[in-house]
Amino acid sequence: MRSGELLSSPIKRAAVMCVPSVFLAVVGLSGCKAASPPPDRQSQLIAKGSDLFFNETFAGNGRTCGTCHPAENNFTIDPAFIATLPKNNPLFVAEFNPDLKVNFENPALMREFGLILENLDGFDDLKNTFVMRGVPHVLGLRTSVDSPGGPRTGWSGDGAPGDGSLRSFAVGAVIQHFTKTLNRVPGVDFRLPTGEELEALEAFQLSLGRQQDLALPLRLRGTVPKRGQEIFLDNALGKCNRCHVNAGATANFGGGSLGNANFNTGVEDLPDQPARLTGKVVPRDDGLRTPGDGTFNTPPLVEAADTGPFFHNNAVETVEGAVAFYNGAAFNNSPAGRALAGTDPKGVGIRLDATQVVAVAAFLRVVNVLENIRQSIMLLEASLAVSFSEEKRRFLERAIRETDDSTRVLKGGGLHPEAVAHLQEARRLAEKAVRSVFFSRKHTEEALRSHKKARALLVE
Amino acid sequence: MTVRKFVVGVVGMSALLGGGPPASAHEMTERYIPVGQSPGLSGKYTVIGKVQTINVRDQTVAIVGATGTWSAKVTARTKIWLDRSKVRLTNLKGAFSDLRPGATVEVKHEGHQRGISSGPAEWIKVQVLPSP
Repeated sequence: MRSGELLSSPIKRAAVMCVPSVFLAVVGLSGCKAASPPPDRQSQLIAKGSDLFFNETFAGNGRTCGTCHPAENNFTIDPAFIATLPKNNPLFVAEFNPDLKVNFENPALMREFGLILENLDGFDDLKNTFVMRGVPHVLGLRTSVDSPGGPRTGWSGDGAPGDGSLRSFAVGAVIQHFTKTLNRVPGVDFRLPTGEELEALEAFQLSLGRQQDLALPLRLRGTVPKRGQEIFLDNALGKCNRCHVNAGATANFGGGSLGNANFNTGVEDLPDQPARLTGKVVPRDDGLRTPGDGTFNTPPLVEAADTGPFFHNNAVETVEGAVAFYNGAAFNNSPAGRALAGTDPKGVGIRLDATQVVAVAAFLRVVNVLENIRQSIMLLEASLAVSFSEEKRRFLERAIRETDDSTRVLKGGGLHPEAVAHLQEARRLAEKAVRSVFFSRKHTEEALRSHKKARALLVE
Repeated sequence: MTVRKFVVGVVGMSALLGGGPPASAHEMTERYIPVGQSPGLSGKYTVIGKVQTINVRDQTVAIVGATGTWSAKVTARTKIWLDRSKVRLTNLKGAFSDLRPGATVEVKHEGHQRGISSGPAEWIKVQVLPSP
């Protein structure tokens, strides 16, 4: 392929531009033991951050950042993943640490709905003052944290002490989630991360996933995803691109980018929220600030389809359901829904028919899979570049997980069966590469070709 | 829709959706961070020093540090916390009466402003030391 052809597709162009940083991230994830070239300061920092993220408990209750943001589950947790964990996993610390048994987590809601207890409005009334929130993934943070109003971290965009930055977010997470007792005494119940540790954690998190947003429209293949992209970009129909420019996490209302913004989209007004149906106490979540203004942070959409459930309270399980939410009364009566309708010449909010909902979801599934394929290719190429068999195996296994995500996301929407077949073949070959002593490179190269064939069926 | 209406709508929407003044971070965890260790704030947007004088009538406190003197006004919005990390106890909510001459404090003035010498305080941490 000529370079001009390669650069003709925005997603391919993005992929090419992402190679160095993603490779750094990959190296970081692996523990950075590659033989050559010698790691520079940034890759060393990322490797240190990776080690801290997955292994450092900060002298607390045993949790690490990776407890709630595991790499093997797209850096988030959901009930299906939680169900696979042993009962002594530190995620369940409220079930086996007597000091955290009451008012630290709600084990039933955690296991059934993947919800974590957060004391956003302070720790003075633990019994009554809390919210239940899902775990946002930490992919694509480089494209989603910045905002003119200050950094946006966590579901309400201000989940950090100090300056609210991603670096400070780690401090807040340690105090909130790592403590041995509810006294939360620094030096006793946990230790605070040092400045150097915060720097490394920040570098690692910023290295994860995409390093820049897509440039829509993509030249998609497939009738339904193509139509979904049209609706997504149509400011008179889907209106999605106003708040998720290029399927990212930044908003643009014609007067310039608002960066990563907060919206009150009315999710808290959904009538049948799963956690509340249980009859358990689930206080209303008031979002940003104390007391809150009802707004929540906009997540990026590129990595959405394989990181559900959706919204800050995990209220919706499928990406189709998440798109359909914007058709409902909860959204269209919300401040964000009314404001969006205000920008429409006819004063109309979002009114999509069922096939249009499915089309937008299909588009989101495809962009998610394109990102998965990009990562699979990077990981497979990284496996070819290292000489240590253990490193090679780790890269290949991560590539297999990304491939599994790709097939699951496409099959879940009944999309691109031929691409699914290529992806399944890529998985088979990557598995053979893991097992093979002499033909690992050959199988890996074949797996790469299968991925590229699958991608070619999704986008021109 | 006219351009003017659109612009008005956009501006209104921006304000509605958080395009106003910069959002301050939640203070839920700030209280647990010892004096001088708040990431991104300590030594940058805060002042650390000893309480020199207190004016109960004006609800102001004068602080003297290595590089100067500052004044902070305690308002209804100001959070005062007792940093008891040196005695290995949990930090507590405090009050204006906890500000005593000689106490080491860290003051964050409202807004992210560097180098201001006076103004309303967003929070004040008062360091509690072990008994001699």
